[in-house]
Amino acid sequence: MFTKQVFACAAAALLSTGAIGTAVASDWKPTQPIEYIAPANPGGGWDTLIRTTARVLQEEGIAQQNFAPINIPGGGGAVAWAQIAAKKGNPHTMFAASPPIILVPLSGASRFNHKDFTPVARLITDYSILLVRADSPHQSAAELFEAIKANPALSVGGGSAPGSMDHISVAGAAAAAGVEPARLNYIAFSGGGEAMTNLLGGHVAAVITGAGEASAQLQGGQLRALAVSAPERMAALPEVPTYVEQGIDFTFDIWRGIMGPPDMPEAAVRYYEDMYQRMMQTEGWAKARDQLGWIDAYQSSAEFGEFLDGQLEQFSGVLGDLGLIRR
Amino acid sequence: MEAFESLLYGFSVALQPANIMYVFLGVFAGTIIGMLPGLGPISALALMIPITFSMNPASGLILMSGVYYGAIFGGSTSSILLNAPGVAGTVATSFDGFPLAKQGKAGKALALAAWASFIGGTISVIGLMLVAPALASVAVSFGPAEYFSLMLLGLTAVVSLSERSLVKGLISAVFGIMVAIVGIDRQTGTQRYTFDSLHFLQGIDFLVVALGVFALAEVFVMLLQGRDAKGHAKQVLGSLKLSRQEVKEIAGPVGRSSIQGFFVGVLPGAGATIASFLAYITEKRIAKDGNTFGKGNIKGVAAPEAANNAACGGSFVPLLTLGVPGSGSTAVLLGALLVMGVTPGPMMLEQRPDVFWGVIASMYLGNIFLLVLNLPLIPYIARILEVPRPMLLALIIVFCMIGVYGLKFTAFDLYLLLAFGLIGLLMRLNGFPLAPMILALILGDLMEENMRRALQISGGDWMTFIEKPISATLIAIALVSLIVPPLLRGIRAARTRLREAG
Repeated sequence: MFTKQVFACAAAALLSTGAIGTAVASDWKPTQPIEYIAPANPGGGWDTLIRTTARVLQEEGIAQQNFAPINIPGGGGAVAWAQIAAKKGNPHTMFAASPPIILVPLSGASRFNHKDFTPVARLITDYSILLVRADSPHQSAAELFEAIKANPALSVGGGSAPGSMDHISVAGAAAAAGVEPARLNYIAFSGGGEAMTNLLGGHVAAVITGAGEASAQLQGGQLRALAVSAPERMAALPEVPTYVEQGIDFTFDIWRGIMGPPDMPEAAVRYYEDMYQRMMQTEGWAKARDQLGWIDAYQSSAEFGEFLDGQLEQFSGVLGDLGLIRR
Repeated sequence: MEAFESLLYGFSVALQPANIMYVFLGVFAGTIIGMLPGLGPISALALMIPITFSMNPASGLILMSGVYYGAIFGGSTSSILLNAPGVAGTVATSFDGFPLAKQGKAGKALALAAWASFIGGTISVIGLMLVAPALASVAVSFGPAEYFSLMLLGLTAVVSLSERSLVKGLISAVFGIMVAIVGIDRQTGTQRYTFDSLHFLQGIDFLVVALGVFALAEVFVMLLQGRDAKGHAKQVLGSLKLSRQEVKEIAGPVGRSSIQGFFVGVLPGAGATIASFLAYITEKRIAKDGNTFGKGNIKGVAAPEAANNAACGGSFVPLLTLGVPGSGSTAVLLGALLVMGVTPGPMMLEQRPDVFWGVIASMYLGNIFLLVLNLPLIPYIARILEVPRPMLLALIIVFCMIGVYGLKFTAFDLYLLLAFGLIGLLMRLNGFPLAPMILALILGDLMEENMRRALQISGGDWMTFIEKPISATLIAIALVSLIVPPLLRGIRAARTRLREAG
C-alpha cells in the first residue's frame, strides 16, 4: 500500500517536471532505458548513427532515459531484425535502419521487412559516388558506361554483396545510362575500404561507395569522382557533377533512420519523433553531423513510412532486372 | 632525418603528461582484456568511442590504439597457460606455448612471449615511422589474385603441420575449409550450409572454433585422464630467465617474424592472425629442429608473438595513410577518428601531423610500458597454474563461455563452442592434427573469396594468377616449398641406399 503511494507520487513528480521542462508533443514517456540497437558490428554506418545520436541526446539533455547502444551483428541485419520483430509493442527498443532493410528481405535473406516494423523517423542521408583512379581514361559517368557497353568485362567494385546497397546504386545508374544491369561486372568486396584499395591498386576500373567515405581519398588527389547520386551537387563536393547533369536520369539516397518493433504504441512514436526533431536542432548535432559528412533529411513517422514503401517499389524494379529477387 | 624530426615532434605530443597517462591506461586495459580468453579488443574499443569523443583526437587515438596493441600483447598469456587463445592473433602461440607450460617452463614461455612481443611491436613502430607513406603503395598492389596466391602459399603449410599422417592432416584441413564456408556467400548472396538458421548467416566465428578445439577439448582431455593424472599434474612456473644460448636461438626467428609480420599487417584484411600463422610455419620450415615444433620449441612461441604484434603496428599503415581499415579493430578506430573530426587518409600527414606522429611516438612508450608491466606480473599471473585442477577446469570453461557469448550475445554460440570442444576431443583421440584445420579455417575463406573475385575481374581467365608478377612469385614459392623438401628427402634416401649397396 505504502509503496504504491510512493510510486504514484514519484510518477506524478516525474510527469510534472517533464511537462515544465519541455513542451512535449505527447504525454507518454519512456520508463526504462532504451535498447538502442545497431544490427551490425561496431564501426559501420548503423553503429555510428546509434552511438552518435545516443551521445548527442545525452549531452544535450534531451533524453530522459539512457540510450544504451547494443550491437547485434549477423546476416546483414537479419539476426537483429528477427529479435526485434518478436518484441511486439515494446516502446523501449529502437534500431538504426537504412536501405538494407528493404534490400536484404528482397534477396530472401530475411523473413522480416520494413512493413514488420514501426518507422520512427528518418534522420539523415548520404549519396553514393562513382570513383575512378586519377589516371583513368574515363572522364565522366556517361563515358564510363559507354566503355562498359563496349567492353562488359570492365569491373566496378563495391563494398557489399550483390543485390545490396552499393550494387543497386551502380546498377541503377548503369540501367539509366542504357547498360543492361545484369551484365554489369560488379565485384563484391568485404567493405568500402577494401574496394577502395583495389581501385587505388588498379585492380578494378571503378568503385561505388558513400560520398562521405570518399572525401579523404578525393582530397589526396589519387582518385577522381565521376558522379554523385544526389539530385543537386553536394555542398561538400561542389566540383562533382550529378548523374542527372550528365544526362543519366538517376538519383539514389543512402538514407538512415530509426525504427521500432512492430506495433509500437502511437504515443511512443510521437514522443520519439519529437525527441529527434529537437535533437537535430542542437549545436552538438550540427557538429557531429558535419564531421561525419551527413546531410539532415528528417521525416516524421508517417512520411518515413510512405518513403519506405516508395523505396520498396524502386528497389524491386532494379533487383528484378538483376535477377536477384528471391522469396 | 626528416623522420627523426617528425618523431621528435611526435614525442612532444606523446610525452604530454595527460597523453602518457592515456598510453598507460590504454595498454593496461588492453593487456587485461587480451588475457581473458576470447575477449578481444573490438568491443572494448567500441565502448571507448563515447569516452574519447570529447578528447582531443591525438589523445583519443593514443588511448584507443593502446588498448588495441595491448590486447594483442596480453593475448599470449592465456594461450600459454590455459591453451585458450586470449585473442584470435595468439592462437598460433599456444601450439608451442602450452606444451612449454606443461613441461614446467611456463615462466620461460611467458617471458619469451613478452620479449618477442616487445621487439615485434617496436620494430613495427620503426617501420611505421620510416616507410609508412611509401608502404601505402604496397598495400594497394595486392589485389584479389595476389591475395589468393598468398593464401595458397600459407595453405601449403598443411603438409608440415600434419605431424605423422598427411592424410589426416588433409582431412583436418578440408574440415576447416568446410567450416569457413558456412554463411552467406559474399559474391552471390547465396546461403551455404546455413540449414535455414539465422545463426549461421554470418558464418561461424573463428574464436568459437579456436576456443572449442583448443581450450574446451583440453578440459575434456584432462577430465578423461581423471585421477591417475594427479601425480604429474602439478605444474611449476620455472625460471623466467633465458639462457644466452636461447637468446641466440630466437634472435633470428624474432627478427624475421617481426619484419614479415609488419608487412602482412600492412595488407588490409590479412592482420595479426594470419601474420602469426605465416611466421610460425615459416620458422617451422626453416628451423633445423622443425620437427620439435608443436612440442614446446621456444622458437614456436617467439615467432608468432613477434609477428602478431608487428602486424598490429603494420595495420596502422592502411588506416592512417589510406583511410582504409584492414580489420574489425581498425574499423572501430577509423569510426572513432571520424567522430572526433579527423579523416584519416592521404592528407592526414599534412592536416593532422599531431595525430599521426603523436600516435606513432606513443607506441614506443606503449611497448615499453607493456614490457615493464608484463614481466614483473608473470609470477603472479602464473599462479593460476597452482589453482587446484577441478577449479582450474571450471575457470577455463567459464572464461571460454564468457568470451564466446561476448562475441554476438547469443546462446547459440555456446552450443557451437561445446560442439567444437567435442570435435576437438575426437580429433585428438584419433590423432588428427588441429593446426591444419585452424589454418584452413583462417585462410580458406579469404582464399576462396579472392579466387572468385580475381576470376570475375579477369573474365574467367585462370592465367591472371600467373600473369601478375607478385602473384606468380608467391605461387612459385608455394610450389618450391611443396616440391623441394620431399625431393631432398628422396635424394638423401637414394644416397644412403647407394652407400649401403656400395
